[in-house]
Parts: sequence; C-alpha cells; structure tokens
Amino acid sequence: MKKSLFYIASILVAAAMPSVVMGGILGDNFGLSLRAGYSIGGTSPMGLPPTISSIDAFRLTPSFCVGADASYSTGSCWGIAAGLHLENKAMNTDVTVRSYHMEMNQGATHISGVFTGHVHQEVTEWMLTLPLQATYSVGDKLTLRAGPYVSLLVKKEFKGVASDGYLREGDPTGPRITIGDTPETEAPYEFSDDMNRWQFGVGIGLDWQVFGPLGVTADLNWGLTPVFPKDFKTVEQPLYPVYGTLGARYTF
Amino acid sequence: MATMVAIACIALTACKKEEFKNPECDIISAWVQGDEYAACFFQPSQMHIDDIPSTTTELVFTVRPASSHRLPVFFTVSEGATVSPASGSVQDFSAGPVTYTVTSEDDAYSRRYTVYMRPPEAPVTISFEHVGTAVQGSSRYHVFCEINANGDTNRIWASGNQGYAITQSNATPEMFPTRSVNDGYVGKGVCLTTKDAGPMGHLMNKPIAAGNLFIGEFNINAVLTNALKSTVFGMPVNKVPTRVEGYYKYMPGAEFTNAQMQVDPNRTDEANIYAVFFRNQDDEGNPVKLYGDNVMTSPCVVMKAQVASLPATAEWTRFEMNFEGGAVDLQLLANYGYSMTLVFSSSKGGDAFEGAIGSMLYIDEVHVTYEN
Repeated sequence: MKKSLFYIASILVAAAMPSVVMGGILGDNFGLSLRAGYSIGGTSPMGLPPTISSIDAFRLTPSFCVGADASYSTGSCWGIAAGLHLENKAMNTDVTVRSYHMEMNQGATHISGVFTGHVHQEVTEWMLTLPLQATYSVGDKLTLRAGPYVSLLVKKEFKGVASDGYLREGDPTGPRITIGDTPETEAPYEFSDDMNRWQFGVGIGLDWQVFGPLGVTADLNWGLTPVFPKDFKTVEQPLYPVYGTLGARYTF
Repeated sequence: MATMVAIACIALTACKKEEFKNPECDIISAWVQGDEYAACFFQPSQMHIDDIPSTTTELVFTVRPASSHRLPVFFTVSEGATVSPASGSVQDFSAGPVTYTVTSEDDAYSRRYTVYMRPPEAPVTISFEHVGTAVQGSSRYHVFCEINANGDTNRIWASGNQGYAITQSNATPEMFPTRSVNDGYVGKGVCLTTKDAGPMGHLMNKPIAAGNLFIGEFNINAVLTNALKSTVFGMPVNKVPTRVEGYYKYMPGAEFTNAQMQVDPNRTDEANIYAVFFRNQDDEGNPVKLYGDNVMTSPCVVMKAQVASLPATAEWTRFEMNFEGGAVDLQLLANYGYSMTLVFSSSKGGDAFEGAIGSMLYIDEVHVTYEN
C-alpha cells in the first residue's frame, strides 16, 4: 500500500512538471498550485431509505486529498482549471437496519436475504481524480469553481459485518436465522471486487488566497455514478460518494 | 461532532424519509383461549403453541378425539401484519384443518398456515416411503413424513437439511446430508451422510454437518448462533414405547476430524441411533422442550434407548434397542404428557462437529413396540 502511494505521488509530481514548463511559456494568464486537504462525507444512498432506521456511529477516516492544479484565465473574470488529485473517499459507519436487502459471503458461500439488526460498514476508495472546472474570480483573492470530475480507483474496499439481529433468507418470508454478536456468530461480507473502477461526478469549490502564495480551498464533490455497477443487486440502493473537502493550497 | 456532520450530510440528501412498513408475515405463537374450551384439551399446556419456527406452516393442536371442533384460535403475528380469518374468531375444525393467511404490513408478502386439531399419532411401522421435496432458496432437499390412519400427512420427522441449505446454492436432494434412496431394505430407505459444511461452516467453527433424522422439529433460528438449540426433539405420545428395531448399513468416512478440522488418526467415526421418552411439561404445567444440548441429560427424561454398537457393514443388518428408565405416571400418559423422540445420525459426535466427512448411515424398516 505504502509503495503504491509512493508511486502515485511520483506520478502526481511528474504530471505537474510539464505544467510548470507550460506556465513559463504561457505567462501570467497561467497559474499552478499544489493542494492538500481532508475530506468528510459518505458513500450512501440518495435519501435515507426506510429500511435504514438509524445511523448509530460515524467515525473519521483517513480521507486525505493531495494534488496539483493548473488554471488558465481568459483575462476577464472567467477561466478554466484542471488538476490531478490523489484522494481517499472513505467511510466507517454503524447503522441499524430493518429488512434491509443484503448478502453475506465467505469464500464461495453466499447467504442472501433481508437483514434486521446492526451493520458495521467500511468503505475505502483511493483514487486518482481529474477535475475540469470553470472558474470565476471575485476580486483578487477569491475564485469560485464548478465542473465535472472523473476518478480512477486504485484501491477499493467495501466490507463490513452484520451482527446482533436476524436474516430472512431469500425474502422476508424465508427462514429466519439469528445472527449473533461474537466473531463466530456474526456475518461478515465483502464486495470490494464488485465496485466500479471509474467514478464520475460534479464538484463546486472555492479558493481563497489568504496570505501571499498561501490559500485555503473548500470543495463539495457529488458522485453521479453509483459505486457499484447497475447489475449489482446485492446492496439494496445505489450508493453515491458525496464528500466535502477543506484544505490548503500553495500557488506558484 | 463527527456524528453531527454525518447526519447533516445525509439529511441533505434525505428530502423525505418514507415510513418503514414491515414486510414480515409470520405466526409467532398460537393459542386457544377461554375456560369453555379447556375441556377440549387433555391439559392446559396443550392450548398454546409457542416459539413457532419461521419455516413451520402447519400447526397441530393436541385435542381430545371427541371434543367440540368449533374453536377460537388466537395468534401473535409479525408487527403490523394481519391474519384472515381473524385471530380469535371461532372456526369449525370438524371437517379438517383451517387455513389462515397472514398478510404483511407493507402488503407485499403473505404466508398461508394450516391449523390442525387432532391427537398426535405415534409411529409404529416406519418405512420411509413418504418423501417430499422442500425448496429453500435455490436448493431442494428431501423431507420425510408418515401417513395417519385417516390419510392425513403427519410431519413428525425433521433433519438438519434446512441448516445445510443456507450455505448451498443450486443443491439437489442427492447433495444433502439427509436424503431418500431407492435401494432401501424394502422399497425406499434413508441415507444420512456426514458432509463438509463449507467455508461459512468453517468460519463459524461448525466445519461438518452430520446427516441426521429425528422425531421433532428443526428450528433454523439458532443454527448459526447456538446450533444445538436448532434440534427440538419429540412428539407427544399416549403410550409407552418399549423397543425399537430396524435395519441399517454403515460406512464410516476415511478421516476423523474434530471441531477445528484436525485429523485424529486413532479414531474411527461411529453412527448413533437412540430414543428418548420424556415428560413434556414441568411440575407447574409449563411446556418443556428438549434440545440437542439436553435431550440426554434433562431431569424430564424418563426412559432412554440406545443401540450399543453399530459395526461398519455394507450389508443391511438388523439393529435393536430397548427403553430403560423410570416409572411412568399413567394419568399424565393418557393426557399426552409425555413425548418421544427417535434419532438417527451418521456421526455420533456430530453435535460437537466431530466425525468423518463421508460417513454414511442407511436406515430402513424401523418398528416401534409399545406397552399394551
């Protein structure tokens, strides 16, 4: 993992190099910045379905974002910006569900049905994201941004444990099987391999130049494609990554 | 704070939360209520059927043969579900069972239950000729029953097949631990095989599944959490069993393993055939059930029978066992206050997940003798 992160960081730096050279050629209309931020959000259904009765815990995860951005100003207020970010959209939650469709798996064995009880869910999505945004400058210090992004997932994990409840195998009229709360009696699941490799979405953000080359950034990125393919029916609703990021930037 | 952020995030996306409506539609318990109906039963404990397994759709009340057959049956059903005919309505059982339909609160699911009012009929000659096929998920397995004198189906037999089925996909009856075979001693017979319980079984420290067949019911509810509670033994009887005989074949599997799947080269698997006769209520008149963890040890056990040894043999071989134990209260006996179970297993240590994968016990033409 550490090794692959190092590779990805190297790619980011390498990607930024031509931009630096280009910046020299294109002159003042061209800007280059580096950013680092921290994200909070969820990979969740759009609208809490009635089968999720409560969110019991939400733990902070190492959801960092680092990257380089290049911008071009038309000379008026408008411009465009593109970047390459390495980021993790992670989630770690505990929820209580009622008759929630799910599947438990272990090796080649699957038990599917509807589960009532406690679900501990962990999602990790390390990705390379390429945002392409229109920019609008408000005065010297503030820039507003909006536009689409595409992400390539380099590490994906979707796993969890169902416990302290019961599964109705097949459908709500199926055999009722108690799921316990000890390692031998709870039911683990993992669908990492089923996740989509690509994600698309839209984002809005702002950059505020605070002091010299240093500034702060704020972003909200809203996934428009679910994290699982359409034909993946194991998880009841399509899940979309929606994350907000706060960070710092350095402008060259 | 983090929780607040999360709730705020999700609240943003949750414009309007729909109300949850329960899709379940089970009968959880059933009872007959009212002093005027007590005379229809031998004893008050028979007016209740509690802890109904989620897979059971036939409910049998033990009533006096000549009693009135117009009775109100009350039900506890899944939250929000409705039942038709209504819970507590007087129904006529004289022409046979009455079917009740339970509909879920969300209206999307329904289940049909058949309620019988009849005295239990203890088996005498058991030939395993009456075999049905149950469908569970994508798998199918055999179920065994007896036919009463009046032609009614009498579902006295249960097996662990239900539990095995949850770990299987597209399994056919031949792949299950408990199955019917055409080459019995006479006609069809039963074959019990100790199977590998698969990755899920290994994970849960239940690596093998012994083939078993027993008088009672299998309650799948506890199969993953407390497997010994899933075998619920016995049926009420009004006569005292004295002797069981029949025919068997036994081929132990190659490698004996313990619950951790470690091979013990010094042990060979053994089959098990036993029977237990026990009080089905305590001194206060509360119903008593015996499970895998107390069927041999409960203070309610009155008599036991066990086949002393079942040597490996590929030929049909006769076995017999005699009941031994304490005194029987004849009044309680007449009131169906005792129950009997008969148990066959392809691995004696199957309840502790010890045995040899591949051990096969065939059973056929069993006869139970009762005291006159």
